[in-house]
Amino acid sequence: MYAITFHHMVVGLAAGAGTLMGICALLAWLSRYISNLESSQSTLDKASYAASILTLVAIPLAMFSGYYSVSEPAGSAILYNKFVFSGIAMGFTASYIAGRVRFGPDLWANNALGNLQMLSALFGLTAIMILGSIGSKITLGESTLDLLPFWPEFMNSIVINQWISLFLLILGVSSVIFSFRIMKSIKPISELD
Amino acid sequence: MRSRFLVLSVILVLLLASSSGVANPGGKGDSNRDFTCGGSCHGDPSLSSVSSADIRIDAASTAFSGTATEISISVSGMELSENNLVGVFLLSSKNGNDDHPEDHGWQIIQDPNGGTSNYVEVISENDNSITVSWVLLAPIDEGTKQIFASIHHGSFYNHDNKAYIGETDGLLVSIEPVPENYPRLKEGWVSPDERISGDSSPIIVRTVNTDSLSVFWRLSGESQSHEASVEMIEDQEWEVSLPATLGDTRIEYQIIASKDDFNNQIPWLSMGTSDPYFDGTSLGAKLQSLSFTLIILGFMLSLQAWFSPKGVRKLADNTNEVEEMISDDNSDYWSRLIPSDENPGWLWDPIEKEWVADPNNLPGGKQ
Repeated sequence: MYAITFHHMVVGLAAGAGTLMGICALLAWLSRYISNLESSQSTLDKASYAASILTLVAIPLAMFSGYYSVSEPAGSAILYNKFVFSGIAMGFTASYIAGRVRFGPDLWANNALGNLQMLSALFGLTAIMILGSIGSKITLGESTLDLLPFWPEFMNSIVINQWISLFLLILGVSSVIFSFRIMKSIKPISELD
Repeated sequence: MRSRFLVLSVILVLLLASSSGVANPGGKGDSNRDFTCGGSCHGDPSLSSVSSADIRIDAASTAFSGTATEISISVSGMELSENNLVGVFLLSSKNGNDDHPEDHGWQIIQDPNGGTSNYVEVISENDNSITVSWVLLAPIDEGTKQIFASIHHGSFYNHDNKAYIGETDGLLVSIEPVPENYPRLKEGWVSPDERISGDSSPIIVRTVNTDSLSVFWRLSGESQSHEASVEMIEDQEWEVSLPATLGDTRIEYQIIASKDDFNNQIPWLSMGTSDPYFDGTSLGAKLQSLSFTLIILGFMLSLQAWFSPKGVRKLADNTNEVEEMISDDNSDYWSRLIPSDENPGWLWDPIEKEWVADPNNLPGGKQ
């Protein structure tokens, strides 16, 4: 009973924070090209950074409460997809935070990093939108994104064998450790000539 | 004082809880039920009222013992609630217990919703009327049997929250001895209520005294029927190939069992389509989710490392440190010099054993 109420609250937080992260990151990226936004870049960057941290906290809580809100959390493709897209949303959000922590607020001045950071935030936001759409399908039977002609069918899911998932998990852990080791040698942009 | 408060709280909780348990306006689903659910809830005269519905029950007046027969119930003239839901009972008595047709020897092969229940819930699509059919195997015992129909429903203008109940008188069906060698379905065979979407695996039909079997199929709502392929796999066991269905499609089929001059045409049966079996597990979902998170993070971190600026770190500016060192050295140096009255403008360095010009009092009075 409380899990459902808590889930509704946390899902709202995750969706709101994720949207703020995506939109502010997009505007911060656009501020390189639109002079009117240039003065707001620092504010947009900070807002996006704070929102991304809240998103990364809210998504696992939403997963946890959602798990206890239904009798069979992975009993159908549509519920399974919620897990999968939650993982994708967390991956992109964590990448956004890692980039921001590593390179600092000056990363928007760098073309390639700015593009990458904007894409991380946008992909994270897209995954959160899909999660919201799946939730709406479950509770209301329809979602606003049904209007799109190319929207994927959530009644199907790609189920990976547990052992392959475990292998992918080990691969993921290794790649993260390896990437962090590489990044140790990288300095914030403000410290570079 | 505390005990009074406790008692009052318990009474209040019980009173509040009762309001959520008085009715099921959305229905309770198909199931096996006695008349007015065994006399509970809707059987209470203070909670129910007579429906204005006109209920008709139709069946062949005679049926051969143990053979399939169809019983049809038509209801019209109801005033339904917003959800247009009607509950329909097929009963063999109205005692409030042992009313299920199977309690009197009938066997339900298929109910109107594809299952094998004697109570089904149906949504009226138009004119507040419905027609539903059950396919049953007649009792083995010969003689006259009675079959009843009953309904209950809500109403749009229903301020007392009453259930509206209607019922029919018993329809008499004469169960006659089955002619010798009469082809029929085997007792205990039940029509499958659904197949998985896209599944074209055949259904198995078991018969008695049947030399040949033919099956016709049609999609629900269509009038034209097609003959299905039938193969005998064992004695009195037949494999019927019906085309696979997708989505919400229902397929209807009619079995005709034949032997010599007898042709037993069994009423149309139907079969729904269910979603494909989903083999995902909770642990698998968690593992897959976490692995996606880490792989995406690892990939994006690698890209960040790849795209990171390759400029050199700003050169260290140690001017201050050097100036401080020089300053410290100078203060040590100047403090060890000894002024001399004999040689104004000069300072004696006892370590280097030399005279150094005093910058504050240059020889010859220069500044």
